[in-house]
Amino acid sequence: MSTANPTAKKNHNPKLAVILSILLAGLGQLYNRRYVKGTLFIILEVSFILTLGQFINYGIWGIMTLGTLAGTDHSVFLLIYGLVSLVLIAFAVTLYIANVKDAKRDAIRLRDGEKVPTFKEALRNVWDTGFPYFFVTPGLVMLVFIVVLPLLFTIALAFTDYTQYNQPPRNLLSWIGFENFGRLFFGTGAGDSNIWQDTFISVFTWTVVWTVVATTLQIALGLFLALLVNDPRIKFKRLIRTILILPWAVPAFVTILVFAAMFNDRFGAINTEVLAMFDLAIPWLQDPFWTRIALIMIQTWLGFPFVFALFTGILQSISKDWYEAADVDGASRMQKFRNITLPHVLYATAPLLIMQYAGNFNNFNIIYLFNEGGPAVRGQNAGGTDILISWVFDLTFELNQYSMAAAITLILGLIVTGFAFFQFRRTRSFKEEGNI
Amino acid sequence: MLKKYLSIFAMVLLLIGVLAACAPDREESGGSTDDSGGGDSEEATGDQPESLSVWVNDNEDQKVVLETLFEKYTEETGIEIDVTPMNMLDQIEALNLDGPAGNGPDLFFQPHDRIGNIVLQGLASPIDLGEAEGTYSETAIDAVTYDGEIYGAPLVVETYGTFYNKDLVEEAPATMDELMAIAEEQTDAASDQYGFLMEAANFYFSYPFFGANGAYVFNNEGGSYDVEDIGLNNEGAVAGGELIQSWYQNGYIPVEINPDIMNGLFTDGKVGVAITGPWNIPAYEEALGESLGTAILPTVDGTNATSFVGVKSWMVSDFSENKEAATDLALFLTNEENSTAYFEGAGELPANQAALEGEAVTSNELIAPFAEQIQYGTPMPSTPEMQQVWDPINNALLFIAQGDDVQEVLDEAVQQIRDNIATAQQ
Repeated sequence: MSTANPTAKKNHNPKLAVILSILLAGLGQLYNRRYVKGTLFIILEVSFILTLGQFINYGIWGIMTLGTLAGTDHSVFLLIYGLVSLVLIAFAVTLYIANVKDAKRDAIRLRDGEKVPTFKEALRNVWDTGFPYFFVTPGLVMLVFIVVLPLLFTIALAFTDYTQYNQPPRNLLSWIGFENFGRLFFGTGAGDSNIWQDTFISVFTWTVVWTVVATTLQIALGLFLALLVNDPRIKFKRLIRTILILPWAVPAFVTILVFAAMFNDRFGAINTEVLAMFDLAIPWLQDPFWTRIALIMIQTWLGFPFVFALFTGILQSISKDWYEAADVDGASRMQKFRNITLPHVLYATAPLLIMQYAGNFNNFNIIYLFNEGGPAVRGQNAGGTDILISWVFDLTFELNQYSMAAAITLILGLIVTGFAFFQFRRTRSFKEEGNI
Repeated sequence: MLKKYLSIFAMVLLLIGVLAACAPDREESGGSTDDSGGGDSEEATGDQPESLSVWVNDNEDQKVVLETLFEKYTEETGIEIDVTPMNMLDQIEALNLDGPAGNGPDLFFQPHDRIGNIVLQGLASPIDLGEAEGTYSETAIDAVTYDGEIYGAPLVVETYGTFYNKDLVEEAPATMDELMAIAEEQTDAASDQYGFLMEAANFYFSYPFFGANGAYVFNNEGGSYDVEDIGLNNEGAVAGGELIQSWYQNGYIPVEINPDIMNGLFTDGKVGVAITGPWNIPAYEEALGESLGTAILPTVDGTNATSFVGVKSWMVSDFSENKEAATDLALFLTNEENSTAYFEGAGELPANQAALEGEAVTSNELIAPFAEQIQYGTPMPSTPEMQQVWDPINNALLFIAQGDDVQEVLDEAVQQIRDNIATAQQ
């Protein structure tokens, strides 16, 4: 076998090629006699080091120390430079690994006497196989800088001591590890009061209740109305559908502000016009319990049209044959709903419904516009209806606890990501992606 | 196998990079900014800069009048003014990043209650008002003084006062008793008719009734605030709290009042007396016309009510290379003539004492009482800790309105303020 190939170069050593290319990108390629490629790699590496070396050096120094001279070094800038440097290094390392792999592959081919493609052929090869990647790359690079970088910045802030009293440019920030998280979860290091831990737990539990109840209600209402309108016996379908979509057509913030005025305990229409008929006056804005009820009702009102529209579409796509078959088998109305309609509807819409939950979990607008997270609760730092995101807002703008706000944001992000990720993985609609 | 080596190698490479990273060479000049927050760069000695960069608030009226003042300044001195309109409240964040990067302004415009925060960030230089210091109203100078240093050239003062509807109330109430009599007589909540309304659950507006009784937010001695000494649950505060509570309990003011509702009722002619700020004059005047009257706040047990005074001032950026010239411009903008011009254009009361007492202000019947009220007012504390006060005390006022025990609620609020301050300082 080995003698069968006359062009094999037994003494060509892949290991040497690897070591050479590690020493300097391109050297291994030169050893492999891929001169054009080798020269290109060398030019690339040298220019990378020459143009970006100093910046990266400064960035790495910056992110490690966050500055050493107060008033001269700006920790936030240094942090950003450092993160950019890390991203650049990640790009460079990827290229470097590709370079070493390439050198090794070519060297092995050369040793075994396989025909090594010429530079032109290699280029065409890369173009053919890597075609999709060429088109993705610019977007990916953009994504890294406009999405990943700010994300990394927030994450980094959660581990610093950035507060009102410790702000650049006058002061330097420093890394404090998990201290912020410790204060949130275990109430450590907070002196005599446990504001963080106490408030975090009460706010978090309400956030969960809010997410689950408000979203489930809006989905249930949407489904119920969609079923009704879809019933063949209903007339004026188009009109009813238009009316039901209306709440969606008005911008949410307008609706919320109007509702906030309508729910005013003394002057609002709900108490003065509607409930007055029953001799009732409910403290909608003064009592946390009733504020929560009002918020859930408003969110249901705001959210159901979308779900309704979604379900109406799906319902019409369910084949009539199914129901006819079920009728033949003598299935009851309920059985048909449970075994045909519901699975069909949920199957097709599960990912979107999950996004509804995730969206409500961070639904800052309604909480803030309705009552600014109020009413106040005695002995607590957050208002009676503050959810995590509106509490973070208060923290940043009132207590100026930037790093703590970043820590909570990070937790929020993890929760939403986690719940989106696992649910997406479990819904069939995504499992079947790419298998069409 | 090889792959493993490769990744190890990459890690080593990274580590070397990390370890090799070292500080860039810089001048060790930053040290002095630690305490005073300024003055480390060599200032242009007498050299006139070609231009000054100024950040102004992005309000149309203010921009127009400032534009003419800047033109006048350029004519007099030959220094070009480079104007960037930016919302006052966004300027700090922008300055924090633009300043060190060298794109900041020489002069920027800020309400005084943010000075503490600005100094904490090291963004402003103390300025020397020189002889001009005496030309500003005392309250304004107190307001821009932080830790014993003056940080701004005051342009605008503002406070609130009494509005009354002449159709319902013949004369403005001069004392609290008179006001209560009006409230007693005219309030008929069932028909939405009120003798006296104010946002009493908003500490900004209800402070006068605490202050007149001897309460204070932070004790101020010699131009610096002692944040350990909070006077919001002392005897005077409780008296003030009980006074406010009585308004709610007697049904004079509904708990659910908010600015929109109050303004709506007042412009509908259903309110005799309202306590609010001069920014409502245009809307009120349009609705009530000749029937609208204004006055200073009623006295509480013979003491003038101590309304909160806000001051907006020009501040010199710590990153400016033309601090002297910038100060000169700030003094120019706030002198009697120009702050009067600013008042006429933008409608904001001048901080310059002569301008405040000048013809332009006093001849305006609706504005003049506010100018008078300034002298009884106290500047809002400018320490950064003030930010920790608002929420707890506003909540306390809400509990007071709902009928909770005043002493208890105020004690709790003060404790929460202390906790918040401690938390913020961690």
